[in-house]
Amino acid sequence: MYRFLAILTFYRSFMVWSFIVNAIIGFFNPVIVPALVTKLFLTVFAWYYVSETRNQRKLTFYKNLGISSLELFSVVYVIDCILTIIFITIFKEFT
Amino acid sequence: MIFELDNVELYFKTKRILNGIYLKAETGKVTAILGSSGCGKSCLLNIAFGNLKPKYMLVRLDGKPLLKPLYTTGIVMYLPQYNFIPSEIKLSFVFKLYAINWNLFTKGFETFSIYKNSKFSDLSGGERRIIETYIILKTKSKIVFLDEPFSHLSPLHIDTIKQLIEEEKKEKVIIISDHMYQHIIESSDTIYLLKNGTTKKINQLSELEDYKYLNEGTL
Repeated sequence: MYRFLAILTFYRSFMVWSFIVNAIIGFFNPVIVPALVTKLFLTVFAWYYVSETRNQRKLTFYKNLGISSLELFSVVYVIDCILTIIFITIFKEFT
Repeated sequence: MIFELDNVELYFKTKRILNGIYLKAETGKVTAILGSSGCGKSCLLNIAFGNLKPKYMLVRLDGKPLLKPLYTTGIVMYLPQYNFIPSEIKLSFVFKLYAINWNLFTKGFETFSIYKNSKFSDLSGGERRIIETYIILKTKSKIVFLDEPFSHLSPLHIDTIKQLIEEEKKEKVIIISDHMYQHIIESSDTIYLLKNGTTKKINQLSELEDYKYLNEGTL
């Protein structure tokens, strides 16, 4: 449970960006599958960005918990997908 | 447990940083890595932990080769030179996360008792370092890597950390690296010198002078 909360802490730094992307997707093409594919692409980009810059230091905290980068970003992607689906579903109801 | 790191070869582009490395550490002994600045000590610890991928390397645990990064086994803890715990996390949460008793910690470090619900960003660099070192040493694990654990600490806290290392080595393989060679010599049982990209086991302290790591007459 605490490990999951630790991953949520990591996701928190990407939350604002995710919300902005959700808003853009919502206005232009509020369809779930393309939105999830876009999020997958952005998650892979975030992984690359974190791994190739000084931000990779942040990963040491998770590696000490036995969480690999693949596990970390996979869980982040799943969390983000759930929030994206909820956002788009609600967005569609009001448009 | 016996931890062995063998045949490490690390390049940065075409520049060879490490080659022909061999290092053996075992439970009950503190193994130290000494070497001048930029010789690759931190790279070596990063490689051992699984943070850095060299061209070649072999990790053996009790003689058996390990084919995946060491950190994925969940038996290793690594204290890097930098502050590794995210600033926005509360101390109480980190202690729960690593299953460490807060009350036991504040018995040894009374001045920290007011920080239980503070975030790491509220602490000074030295205070963060003490807590991170304590967490790394006290978390249940079999192997511990400490990269410059004595840096930024007051003499009193250095002594406390040395005591902790002495206690924890009974159950853990501890590999330590620092520029404060006096503390390293006092705390360690085995010393390796990293020079010209390769390790040399030090059998007598005078060899540190012979290999020009220390000036003549320093010891």
